[in-house]
Amino acid sequence: MKPGFRDVLRQLEDAGELRRIKKPVDPRHLSALAAQAREATFFESITGYPDWRVAGALVSTRKRLALAMGCSEKDIAPRFEEGIRRPIDARLVSDGPCQEVVWEGDAADLTSIPLPLMHVKDGGPYISATLVVSKDPEYGRNVGSYRLMYRTPRETGIDLVSSSDMRLYYQRALDRKRPLEIAVVIGVHPYEMLAASYTAPIAADELAIAGGLHGAPVDLVRCRTVDLEVPADAELVLEGELLPIGWTADEGPFGEFSHITGDVKWNPIFRVTCITHRRDPIFYMLQMPWENDWLAAPVIEAAGLQALRIASVEPVAIRAPIGGCCYWTLIASIKKRPGEGKNALLAMLSVAEVKLAIVTDDDINIYDPDELDWAMTFRVQADHDVLIIPGARGKHIDPSVKAWSLGKGGLPTTAKLGIDATIPEGVPKEQYERIRYFAKDAVRLEDYL
Amino acid sequence: MSPLAERLVLELRERPRHFAELVEAHTDVAWRDFLRAWGELRASDLLKRDDEGRYLITPGGRSVTAV
Repeated sequence: MKPGFRDVLRQLEDAGELRRIKKPVDPRHLSALAAQAREATFFESITGYPDWRVAGALVSTRKRLALAMGCSEKDIAPRFEEGIRRPIDARLVSDGPCQEVVWEGDAADLTSIPLPLMHVKDGGPYISATLVVSKDPEYGRNVGSYRLMYRTPRETGIDLVSSSDMRLYYQRALDRKRPLEIAVVIGVHPYEMLAASYTAPIAADELAIAGGLHGAPVDLVRCRTVDLEVPADAELVLEGELLPIGWTADEGPFGEFSHITGDVKWNPIFRVTCITHRRDPIFYMLQMPWENDWLAAPVIEAAGLQALRIASVEPVAIRAPIGGCCYWTLIASIKKRPGEGKNALLAMLSVAEVKLAIVTDDDINIYDPDELDWAMTFRVQADHDVLIIPGARGKHIDPSVKAWSLGKGGLPTTAKLGIDATIPEGVPKEQYERIRYFAKDAVRLEDYL
Repeated sequence: MSPLAERLVLELRERPRHFAELVEAHTDVAWRDFLRAWGELRASDLLKRDDEGRYLITPGGRSVTAV
């Protein structure tokens, strides 16, 4: 059987990366406390919610993400790629702990869950760690991650502004004047979260990708009130439908994964028909922005590796740095043949909303910012080695795309920048011979101290 | 409307406020009770938003729209 959310908590605790907080905490203070802890946080007592515990910031560092993935920090992209290459279909089981407690109809009350208030300008309490399952009659199942803003005991807003498969499913339902059934799953293993973040081809099943990452199938149970299946080992599931109202309801602001306070957006409304959870549920509060960022890193890095290989370029290392929120910037080193610096940039800039790509030769350690600066200083001529691609797909939460001017449901575009920091064609490698100290291996400093 | 929801209406008629400002003004209230009252306001169709993302209620205003 594959590991679940609680196994990750145990892994983190065993590695000294989880802090238990035993004193009662008000849900209004959960996020601020998690932000002050160096470790992941586990709140054992929540004021007003005696049946609940809350876990947050589980994978808000590269180290903790690597721990959860069971690999080294440099190997998170190859590890993720491995899972994508070997999907394992999910399997249906008759029951699961996520349905130990069932609340239907008016008893399905979102205020019974310790929803945290996270940031000073948020439009309300948010559910940030979601796996949202939907289905389209033609395309089949989709799993993505979308934030939910509390509105009423039975309704939330949902951020469906960005281009995604579920946005397409919703639009298709809307064209038929029908609601779109969804199930919101909270408290699953990071592999399921990563698979949901992956921009898979529309026909691909993200839960099979999660199975590939685990090396074992994800067990699913049928929902109670919608025609969908959800991971059986989840902590909490919200079943319901996106109302056929289009992008008309206010949602946001929210502290975005770009580390910026977002704008009010216009989005659909999610109406809850049923809430199911474990008997002793743990609410998962995804801590913005770091945890969201690091969950994007393996996805973007693996997509970069794939794009480079499709372009017949041999990657050596790849990194989605935290400064680019592990999403907008990709840096790769390659074994370069003539012209491949530019080919690599074109490939990397084709990944999702990556707007800055930097490529170096394989003698540069791309994890060292000083080496990267050195390569960009001495291997780049701006009139030859900088690519600008205007009018590509952008993302709303980048203020420079001026999304506020687009109106309800509008999609922004962006210019993309590529920097080829490989040794230019025609410049002999010898020109870059690094200085070496005379007698470096013959003498040792400690002998003179 | 509950007394708390009515207080929130008065506060939002007075001036636009971020959600967190409303929360801060009522920290003595249990979180669940606050969320229920907020739900009443949402359901009442009175709320508007300004460009800063603040909530407000204008005289005779209905439905959630930007102002």
